[in-house]
Amino acid sequence: MLRLGIDTGGTFTDCVLHDSATDERWFGKTLSTPAAPQQAVMAGIQTLQRVRPFELADVDSILLATTAATNAILERNGARVGLVTTLGFRDVVILGRAKRYDTYDLHLDKPDPLVPRRCIVEVDERVAADGSVLRPLDLAPASIAALVERFDAESVETVAVCLLHAYANPVHEQAIANALKAHRPSWEVSLSSDVSPKYREYERTSTTLANAYVMPVVQRFLSSLQAAFAASGFVGEMHVMQSNGGLLSPELASAYPVNIVESGPAAGVLLGGLIGRRECLPHVLTFDMGGTTAKVGAIENGEPTVTSTFEVDGMNLRQWSGLPLNISAVELIEIGAGGGSIATAPMGIIRVGPASAGAVPGPVCYGRGGEQVTITDANLVLGYLVADRFAGGQMALDEAGAMTAVRTQLAEPLGISVRAAAWGVHAVANANMERAMRSMSIERGRDPRDYAMVAFGGAGPLHACRLARTLGVRQVIVPYGAGVGSAVGMLEAEPRFEASLTHILALDDQSTCAGMEAIYRSLEERVLATFESTADLITRRHVYARYAGQGYELRVEVPRGPIDQDFVTATKSQFHAAYAAAYGYADESASIEVTEWQLSAISPNALPGRSEGQPLVPSGSDPVKLDSRTHAAATPVAVQKAYFPELVDAVAALDSGAEHGENTPPDGKVDERGLIDCPVFERHALVSRISGPAIIADDEATVLIPPGDDAELNADGDLVITIAQEYDE
Amino acid sequence: MSGIDPVTLSVLWNSLIAVADDMGVTLRRTAYSAAVREGDDFSTGLFDANGRLIAQGNFSPGHLGAMPYVVEHVLSHYPRDTLAPGDCILLNDSAMGSGHYPDCFVTSPLFASAENGGELIGFAVNCAHHVDMGGAVPGSQIVDVKEAFQEGLRILPIRIADRDGLREDVLRLILGNVRLPSIVRGDLLAQRNTNVVAAERMARLVAKYGQSVLNAGIDALLARSEQRMRSLIAALPDGTYEYEDKLDDGAGNEPIRFFAAVTIANDEITIDWSGSDDQVAAGINSYINYTRAYSAFAVKVFTDPLLPQNWGANRPVRVVAREGSFFNPTYPAPSSGRAATQIRLFEVVCGALSQVVPERAMGSFSHWSNPIVGGTNDGKPFIFYDLLYGGYGGRATKDGAESLCPVFNATNIPVEVHEAQNPIRVRRMELVADTGGAGRFRGGSALLKEIELLADEATVSLSGDRHRFSPPGAAGGANGTAARTTLVRGDDEITLGSKSIAEMKKGDVLQLRLSGAGGYGPPGERDQEAVRRDYEDGYISARTVREVYGIEEAEWLTD
Repeated sequence: MLRLGIDTGGTFTDCVLHDSATDERWFGKTLSTPAAPQQAVMAGIQTLQRVRPFELADVDSILLATTAATNAILERNGARVGLVTTLGFRDVVILGRAKRYDTYDLHLDKPDPLVPRRCIVEVDERVAADGSVLRPLDLAPASIAALVERFDAESVETVAVCLLHAYANPVHEQAIANALKAHRPSWEVSLSSDVSPKYREYERTSTTLANAYVMPVVQRFLSSLQAAFAASGFVGEMHVMQSNGGLLSPELASAYPVNIVESGPAAGVLLGGLIGRRECLPHVLTFDMGGTTAKVGAIENGEPTVTSTFEVDGMNLRQWSGLPLNISAVELIEIGAGGGSIATAPMGIIRVGPASAGAVPGPVCYGRGGEQVTITDANLVLGYLVADRFAGGQMALDEAGAMTAVRTQLAEPLGISVRAAAWGVHAVANANMERAMRSMSIERGRDPRDYAMVAFGGAGPLHACRLARTLGVRQVIVPYGAGVGSAVGMLEAEPRFEASLTHILALDDQSTCAGMEAIYRSLEERVLATFESTADLITRRHVYARYAGQGYELRVEVPRGPIDQDFVTATKSQFHAAYAAAYGYADESASIEVTEWQLSAISPNALPGRSEGQPLVPSGSDPVKLDSRTHAAATPVAVQKAYFPELVDAVAALDSGAEHGENTPPDGKVDERGLIDCPVFERHALVSRISGPAIIADDEATVLIPPGDDAELNADGDLVITIAQEYDE
Repeated sequence: MSGIDPVTLSVLWNSLIAVADDMGVTLRRTAYSAAVREGDDFSTGLFDANGRLIAQGNFSPGHLGAMPYVVEHVLSHYPRDTLAPGDCILLNDSAMGSGHYPDCFVTSPLFASAENGGELIGFAVNCAHHVDMGGAVPGSQIVDVKEAFQEGLRILPIRIADRDGLREDVLRLILGNVRLPSIVRGDLLAQRNTNVVAAERMARLVAKYGQSVLNAGIDALLARSEQRMRSLIAALPDGTYEYEDKLDDGAGNEPIRFFAAVTIANDEITIDWSGSDDQVAAGINSYINYTRAYSAFAVKVFTDPLLPQNWGANRPVRVVAREGSFFNPTYPAPSSGRAATQIRLFEVVCGALSQVVPERAMGSFSHWSNPIVGGTNDGKPFIFYDLLYGGYGGRATKDGAESLCPVFNATNIPVEVHEAQNPIRVRRMELVADTGGAGRFRGGSALLKEIELLADEATVSLSGDRHRFSPPGAAGGANGTAARTTLVRGDDEITLGSKSIAEMKKGDVLQLRLSGAGGYGPPGERDQEAVRRDYEDGYISARTVREVYGIEEAEWLTD
């Protein structure tokens, strides 16, 4: 059986073909075509077909991750949306939460809402927090006609409805949808009670609006792809990756497109899960460092951790600067530390990011007009990049240009050597990423020593080992196919649908058992209705709970069985344990309230050809014959100068550099102390275990093995690196 | 060049700021009161062993002017050698802290080892706005009082926790004097927890770098921040620049004069408030720490918003006020409603500095409103604490933002959260047309919010402003409209003063309409497309298009 994973990103479209009969995989990468993404998809498929001939007619399923929804929001080229609100609350989405993302900047602005104020129309109705109807919806024909007329005048294409407390009672929203549909059957209507039935009106409106806003774009994209696939003879199933790491049918993805906003990054985290499963590692931190940002995620007990809210289109990744989306998404911390992140030295302090040179103009060493020092430039100066292998050898790197930029922008102003300045950029970038990693691990009650790190993205494998060491992580794995990580990660995904609703209930009150049961019954109905067959479904329950009176909730899994006193007791103890893990203490005497109830269903066997835990044997455009590996020692293909301050007393070396003042020559003696002849290995030819310092290169990424660490390929073609602890401290 | 290399210094700086930020994350996530967890009304700061502010979290700036002095006051009651790991010293005194009792500061010593002690390496301080500290009204913010004794429980530095946890004997005294003891207790616990996080983080930094490198790094950071601030001030032309404005009133009817003389002399700046009115017998005086906080905030906005906020950056900035004046009152001057002054405090410094940095000028803000409705419902006490924000004044290059927290930096609180927790119903919450000051760049609109009481009765205390003196425009921009507060009882409409107290009955509707923000530049210079957009989006009426912007006929002008 053949499965095809496709990830259409902003820059590249990645494809992976998986043959379950032989467990082989083939990769392909093409430039994206944002105006007509299906062109790049078909081009990517053709690339694969040249490597491993196949017909789409023979493919059983296609798995798709895409940035189509995200880009529509970022570029503000989504649909013209009409928004319906409760009378008196027209401005909820314009008011937002009113907090500046930078306290000291009074000249900043809020993100543009996805709807102009003129397209927001109120209806006369009111529901209370407990769901009771305080004021019935005005459904008079004249009122509805006025609403339609208003939207027609503004050429509205799709409609979002978000009424106060609709999470507690959706009847008014549903009635509006019916009335609008009767007038304008072509309008898709997104209801907040469907899309995001959670309390907090701004966040719910923002989510519902985003759903309506991206819907036509996503629908057009999916249907053009389906048509292109069908025209090529494809008759199998197609699935779309959701932000939470599960798969959706194209129909559900079209109805709830806001759920696929983070589909690419989610698939990347699943790659960590795939590797973890193969290596029998239950806990994995994923580290994806690309051109503009670094993303950190976690796999816990084999599953990606999820969050119930995140922001899209933020400013420099600052909280409060973007549009909040209340959807379940794989938990990611994203920081401005990618290969293109710009380094500066205000006040004699090196700062890295969040500003980025991106792919264009890019780092100085790309020679495409970039003028500011980036992380990639620093890494090149440090000797960490293999110039003739960068991006598959398709791009020449301007090392002299990078040197000059580091010298004039950092080394001279700081009064240190070029090498020390470049090391500073590398070290500060690592410190920024370490903070994100700590936040994802220790602050969330996860001990990094129990975790392995899976590193991918163009720059991830270059920073991963040092990062792992400072965190106490003992193993780093750079997977085979790291350069197309999200496409590979999707092979791990399962069809999944979840439903949730806000209903605040105190847990200590046993009389609420009936209420809880009713909640789960209604959630079950909603979830099961989305699957064709419910035979093998695995359902799971989670709740968001807090100590009564608090404002932030923790997500905990609760038992599947009957809802009785045992259920309540188990839920309580789960919560106390989760709270203690997160915050260091639990208050066993405090009462607990649940705010949100969640039910998810996974269909584990629905995908044909999904590998069931057996190792995958890698293959590729230039496949290694693992069985023909010799046990001879690996031989380096080259030797290049690279800087490893671990080999000397780093602080002493740099201090003496500082004493030399501004006139330290760029390649002065000081540098020589950490600069060594470093062997460079070809990843495919790595036939035995090697020890750092070393550089391992392939077409997709460069892996840096610092002194003390050992690396070898496992049977699956993944590079497994054992991290020496505390080498540099 | 100090005795630390730039690379280590860069990484260390990151780490220190991370500690202050992470303290804030902990506090927000474990706090109970709405002001903290939804409104972000809290702050965190990290100090070295000499009591110098090293780093602060990006939260409410009002508390931060006080923090350096908080450590001093704590040390004068608890000398260094009496402090041990796990200690938490609480204070909320208006003069020592940030000017009113709800702001509770918790200070903890930090040691080289979080468990075993060792050398004292610094202090962690956090401040949270508590839901109640007793006194005349729920929420402990009231303008209509004569002296501080009516405002609630005054806490001079006292140890509320040690390594064994909270000290229940001390807590009994505190919690016995507040309206919602379990919430206050929960927040104090969260504050302690926050400092525990800081203690662990700092101990780890000491272990990693060693005390001497850490100290050298801190010295370098403070010195460079100071150097940078001095060079920024030196770039401004020397001279004394003055500006004045008025607050509507205190609890009486008299306006209060705000006058600042800002003197730039070489690389130092002095903000002198002595020419302002005397302290008043109303809970609105600005104790010196509060005056310092927002004066320093204004300087930062006008120099380098990204400059780290620390002892070094603060050194070249001097804030003075005559003793006994409104901006440096003496105890027992009441001050619980002093938050009503912060916007004006900033605006007056802004008015003075705009004369030297015109590109940073802006029209005045919509002001804000902080109504607190408290009482009992079904025998249970409740306190509804709300935060309302209007728009920003027009700025030199663009319109003022709509509904954004001015000067301080908190969030609003969702209607659905409020209605789920309090016996109130929000009837309306929307922007009002024709309220933002016209100009080349329009000021933001007024916010209207109507709150109906569902409980039998309650007391509302208000601390708004701009009811009498509307927000001025800048550079020829028009003023915004004035604010109005009305209590609607059946057919009666009772006009309330901006800082009054009123009794509410079931079914009463409190109608709060903020002022509109001031415009920037002459309205005649506004781009016609912008006028059209405002009209079509309902921010201005056809009448304003015609009468204010002078556009009589246009195909888009439909009525």
